Amino acid sequence: MDLILFYLRKLFTILKNEVLVLPSRVVVVLFFLLLLLLPVFTKDPYLLRIFTLTSIFAILAASWDLLSGFTGQMNFGHALFFGVGAYGAALLNKHVGIPPWGTVPLGALAAVVSGLIIGIPCLRLRGTYLALTTLAFPIILMGVVFAFPGLTGGELGISGIARLAGSRVIDYYIAVVVMLGLCTIMWKITDSNTGIIFHAIREDELAVKAAGINTTRYKLLAFSLSGFFAGISGGLYAHFMRIAGPSTLEVSMSFQVVIWAIFGGIVTIYGPVGAVFILFPLLEFLRFWQEFRMLMFSVVVLLILLYMPDGLFRWLRDKVEKECPRCKIRNVAMRHTCRVCTAPLD
Amino acid sequence: MIQSFLEIKELTKNFGGLRAVNHVNFSMERDQILGLIGPNGAGKTTLLRLITGILKPDSGSVRFMGKEIIGRKTWDIVNMGIACTFQNMRPFRRLPIIANVMVSCLCPRAMKRGEWVKRLEAKAMDALEFAGISDMAREDASTLSQGDLKRLEVARAIATEPELLLLDEPFGGLSPAETDLMAKSISRLHKGGRFGRLHSEGPAMIIVEHKLQWLMKIADRIIVLNFGNIIADGTPDEIIKNPYVIEAYLGQGGN
Repeated sequence: MDLILFYLRKLFTILKNEVLVLPSRVVVVLFFLLLLLLPVFTKDPYLLRIFTLTSIFAILAASWDLLSGFTGQMNFGHALFFGVGAYGAALLNKHVGIPPWGTVPLGALAAVVSGLIIGIPCLRLRGTYLALTTLAFPIILMGVVFAFPGLTGGELGISGIARLAGSRVIDYYIAVVVMLGLCTIMWKITDSNTGIIFHAIREDELAVKAAGINTTRYKLLAFSLSGFFAGISGGLYAHFMRIAGPSTLEVSMSFQVVIWAIFGGIVTIYGPVGAVFILFPLLEFLRFWQEFRMLMFSVVVLLILLYMPDGLFRWLRDKVEKECPRCKIRNVAMRHTCRVCTAPLD
Repeated sequence: MIQSFLEIKELTKNFGGLRAVNHVNFSMERDQILGLIGPNGAGKTTLLRLITGILKPDSGSVRFMGKEIIGRKTWDIVNMGIACTFQNMRPFRRLPIIANVMVSCLCPRAMKRGEWVKRLEAKAMDALEFAGISDMAREDASTLSQGDLKRLEVARAIATEPELLLLDEPFGGLSPAETDLMAKSISRLHKGGRFGRLHSEGPAMIIVEHKLQWLMKIADRIIVLNFGNIIADGTPDEIIKNPYVIEAYLGQGGN
């Protein structure tokens, strides 16, 4: 009993001293709570389905940010990881009979291998050249898929694979919990020593080499980590939709990820996640407009990129918070002195 | 045979038709500060880049503590104990200054030697303190002035705890007062010892520099390059009197 009280008090202290002092942290906590409690308020299958898919794509967008935003390895073929994850999970489920909790991680491992396979030849490439080369890989894999219709189902894809779980609500919870967990892990990675090296590789690779760091190893690590997370999202998608088709490898899928990430703000992890939670439901709810749907979508994206080039969430964050000029700790924009070092703000 | 600390034999590098480094031979000892001078385009920076493995030579060999280092990767060479700075500074502009140095602290060599330092940040801070820019540790590197970027380069290089330090124009862009300060720090570093949590082996140094006035003060030995050839090698006093050097570099009447 005392122990429980102790931890409760500790939790309360953290909440008071770390979370409630910054609006961005409050928003993150509210976002976690809202997502976890959504099925309590509504059991509408359409809504739950949209948010399950949104969560799955949020993992994908965040994993792109880890590779291309943080490490600076512009990947325009992120659908490859997603597709390998989806096909891997589907094949293992259909032909070997492994249940979803086994196929999703195994599919993700297949995506890691594919990440290494494309990572090794791409190591020498940079910027636009890397982007164009990576763009080709999902298209190549799509050719392979069409070449073996007996195994992969060709254009129809692999259908009739096992469901993620019994009901929509449990599906929803699996997707949301996995998404929240993986995004926290990704954010932790970018916050660690490895994250510093990723940042540095983006800024100047030669200088990182001259600091005695094996950049090849870290770039491959970025490729495989990103591939792993994207592969999990692909596996979840396949089991949720109960089909793994060539649409998971399409070029439009790759670009969708890039649009999400840039819309929310790259080099943040939370930016791409938030962007998916705005753009994906928006596209769904605009369905009643039929032809105008994509037009509206493009207008929204264009306006955001025009006026907030650092991404929507960076912009919002800079509006409500400012950095202390002395100790670089973030404060609420309303304050006049820093909450830690009491230096005057602005 | 007694092996030299650093031994360069017949090192040659061509850029297309231009021979930047032409059959260069020299060796240096563990306790030396070697000044490398010469007119612009004499191949000084190229020579440093060949030693650090950023450029690959066309022929020749470089032996560091008895081991051949030509053909090794740059990070491998850094982990053997050779650190370098860049002439045109290459900071990670969008990272805080302290993170710039932490990258160097994260290299296997520094990690292995500093096991007793649990906090990388503290060690990085000591390197910054040595270079004299610790008060700006949390600023982004893009806010630094030219002179401070030079100091950041030095801090990053010494954070790998090298045995041989290659400094490419450490005084470039510094005011006379700053140059004085930097020259003092360099001789202090050369003496070795501890700077907070940072351990200095008292590295040997090769310094490429145009400000001869200061270089002459700290260097034990000067090598003069011209068109990729060594035209003189000796103590600072000998170099100043050498007629070839005066003609090729210092101009009529000397500096």
